[in-house]
Amino acid sequence: MLSARGLTKKFGGVVVAQDLDLDLELGRVVALIGPNGAGKTTLFNMLTGFVRPDGGTISFDGRRIENMPAHQRARVGIARTWQRPRLFESLTLLDNVMVSERDYLGESIGNLIFRHGEVERAEDDARDRALGFLDRVGLAARADSLSTRLSYGQQKLVGLARALMNDGRCILLDEPMAGVEGRTIETMKAVVRAEAEAGKAICIVEHNIGFIRDICDSAVFMFNGRIVASGSIDDLLADKRLGALYFGSHA
Amino acid sequence: MTEFFLTMAILAGLNVLLASGFNMILGYGGLVSVAQPVFYAIGAYTSALLSMKLGVPLPLAMLAGAALAAIASFGVSLPSLRVSGDYLVIASMGFQLGIVHVINNIELTGAASGLSGILSAVEGPGRSWIYAAIVWTICAVVILGIRWLVTGPYGRAITAMRNDEEAFASLGRDAMRIKVTLFAVGSGIAGLAGALYGHYFLFLTPDQFGIFSSATLLTMVVVGGAATVRGPVLGAILLTVLPEAIRFLQLPVSIMAPLQGVLFSALVILFIFLKPEGLFGGTAVGGLEAWQGRGTARSKAGGRV
Amino acid sequence: MDLSFELIAQLAWTGLASSSSYCLFAMAFALVLKVNRVWNFGQAGLMVVSYFGMYTAFRLLDLPPLAGAVFGAAITIAVAVALERWGFGTLRRRNSSVLTFFIFTIALAHGLVYTAELFFGTDPKTLFPSIISPVRLVGPIVVSDWDLTALATAAAMTTALWLFMRKTGEGKAMIAVSDDPDLAEMYGIDKNRAYAVAMMLSAVLLSAGMYLIGTKAAMFPATPMNQFLIFAVIATIMGGIGNVFAAGVAGVVLALMQSFSVLVIASTWQILLLYILIFVVIVIFPQGVVFKFRRGPSRQAGTLAPAVEETGEKQA
Ligand SMILES: Nc1ncnc2c1ncn2[C@@H]1O[C@H](COP(=O)(O)OP(=O)(O)OP(=O)(O)O)[C@@H](O)[C@H]1O
Ligand SMILES: [Mg+2]
Repeated sequence: MLSARGLTKKFGGVVVAQDLDLDLELGRVVALIGPNGAGKTTLFNMLTGFVRPDGGTISFDGRRIENMPAHQRARVGIARTWQRPRLFESLTLLDNVMVSERDYLGESIGNLIFRHGEVERAEDDARDRALGFLDRVGLAARADSLSTRLSYGQQKLVGLARALMNDGRCILLDEPMAGVEGRTIETMKAVVRAEAEAGKAICIVEHNIGFIRDICDSAVFMFNGRIVASGSIDDLLADKRLGALYFGSHA
Repeated sequence: MTEFFLTMAILAGLNVLLASGFNMILGYGGLVSVAQPVFYAIGAYTSALLSMKLGVPLPLAMLAGAALAAIASFGVSLPSLRVSGDYLVIASMGFQLGIVHVINNIELTGAASGLSGILSAVEGPGRSWIYAAIVWTICAVVILGIRWLVTGPYGRAITAMRNDEEAFASLGRDAMRIKVTLFAVGSGIAGLAGALYGHYFLFLTPDQFGIFSSATLLTMVVVGGAATVRGPVLGAILLTVLPEAIRFLQLPVSIMAPLQGVLFSALVILFIFLKPEGLFGGTAVGGLEAWQGRGTARSKAGGRV
Repeated sequence: MDLSFELIAQLAWTGLASSSSYCLFAMAFALVLKVNRVWNFGQAGLMVVSYFGMYTAFRLLDLPPLAGAVFGAAITIAVAVALERWGFGTLRRRNSSVLTFFIFTIALAHGLVYTAELFFGTDPKTLFPSIISPVRLVGPIVVSDWDLTALATAAAMTTALWLFMRKTGEGKAMIAVSDDPDLAEMYGIDKNRAYAVAMMLSAVLLSAGMYLIGTKAAMFPATPMNQFLIFAVIATIMGGIGNVFAAGVAGVVLALMQSFSVLVIASTWQILLLYILIFVVIVIFPQGVVFKFRRGPSRQAGTLAPAVEETGEKQA
């Protein structure tokens, strides 16, 4: 489905990605783990077009996409969330989710004028679907409030709802559990698990080991911009060397 | 006296068009260009020349002026995709001054002495009444059009884009297309205003379209409150009418003209320091500081994560 | 036209002499951009203040040249420092946007031009009743006293500025503030003082330039706004934004180009070329321009915001 080969990136001489390979397949959930600053977010940014790699190739569905602008990658089917929620703070939750539709007819003035009826119908349909996703993350009742009124964890759930509305076959989640507390933990878990079961190709950056064990099929371990190990979750978690890398750099 | 009030009404209407169009770019698009007067000029000269030299019927010539202004806006909107902040301000200023400089130096546009003999759109005794009605009808249509645009699905997308352009792109939205479109719409409106100006006042000079007129228009937008529909409308009316009040003092022209300039500048500066949030926009949406801290806000909050 | 050596030499000499004031205006503009981080379009207003300050001193108060020049410069310094303190200072504290600075400085310049027109009229004026300057022939070249005064003034001002910035405590403080105002403040430098000093120096440079202008030809109150300011901005951009002396050199180059325009392209089209140049330089090479900024620690938004988002972003 999504496969990257040899991705490399330097920021001002510092190597943050060195020859990275990654393969995501439909119906499988891959965990991307590693200590802070390992380059996990940078890898996501390269896959989604927000950081231009110095070298390497990315293909999606058999199509080379490394030169595609970010918004087009989303349109071919790569959805993502951000480490911070990054909601649109002047919009209501409902609008946040509605604007995330993959084919958003209202984006073109031409459509608004010449395909007015179609846009209206699409809006109605999008409203229903958006409310559905807000319901799934347990926030349908707050559809009309501004995102700034929510807790951090709730904001991340809206971020997830946006990505789901975007309806990519491939979903990249950047630390979905970080900052999520209380009841929202279970909601987050349930939604991600449901998406995995629905057969999407998913990659999750996460520090929460319980969550990874629970949901992911395999894992890739990054350290200092390199992939140092990959395989089953249990093997990676059992590896003392990786534990030392992980916790060593935390201390 | 009535004639004077009608002329004021026409000028105010044209400024409402200009400021509302500028607001599409500055307020809704979040692009800090200063070049709006040049699109006004392009519309004015194009329509005047097409009708004078080629005999194009006036309504068609005016639309052509608006269309050419919209097309010319790519000259600033495409660069705005690469540079922002100070550099966009200076680049747009270079664009504006460059084109005004050309107008100032070629025969076709009458060079520095100005273009006269422009065809009048309406003749007869009720000329000003009719023209004021036309201008304000167009204003009403444009304002309603803008309101329609910024409240529906398009408005949702514009707001999202201004809030977080990257998150916006990550959801498949094309920020570039929206910016270029907003620029073209705002500039097209300016072009139309220019065409309307020419066929009423019948005379154009290049120095109407300089940097001071940029500052004036910017003030109209921000005084009222950027990124609101009514802000630029009220700002434009206010700043057109207030400086004219001293006309009633019946001073000689040699004193009146500079005094008006002084008063206007003072008014602008007063607004900047006393009412930076705009008269009608809340601090959250509009006003002079709508663009403040762009760029740093996000890097402080944690960059591209 | 006869392209003789004499003609070329004469054009070069005249161009060089008349470049003196452009060089001073460019340095004044670039200095404020570098230290205060403001594109000070209000400079045109300060030029008007300086010119009519001197005009008042010479023509109305009958002061001798030196006293009159000092009088004009003193008024300009006072206005410039006030502008920094109550104008830029206030906007800076509010973290105002680029546009606010733009509107403020343009409105200020226009207000001052109109004020001058209100009090002194719109007709062109010279600083002295007679501006005839004795000339002599040096080889084939006509050299006037004005030429010599102008070149000497510009050279003296440039050297003094250079010495001030490199050798004095105030100058070093100014450079430190231009690199990073907050860091400089941690080292005990008063940044507001540095801003004021930069405005003062800028006012002195401007006044010297205006004196030269007004002793050569008559000037309209609006000329600084319509002509000198744009030249200073272009020279500053050509000089690489933030390099004061390079801006001065660019000012000289511009004046020479104008002088030779008779031979190459008409000066009106040269100016167009310059506008195109500004546009192209800023649009095509923003990274190049930014690179010069970015060598120092990151800049505050609002006054000199990063041009390219990508370089402005840092991972938290
Ligand atoms: N735009 C940028 N410019 C310069 N350096 C950057 C940029 N983005 C990331 N980096 C650097 O790249 C390295 C990897 O960062 P990245 O955010 O990818 O790590 P991460 O694995 O996601 O860490 P975390 O678990 O903290 O989110 C870090 O050292 C970071 O400082
Ligand atoms: Mg990360």
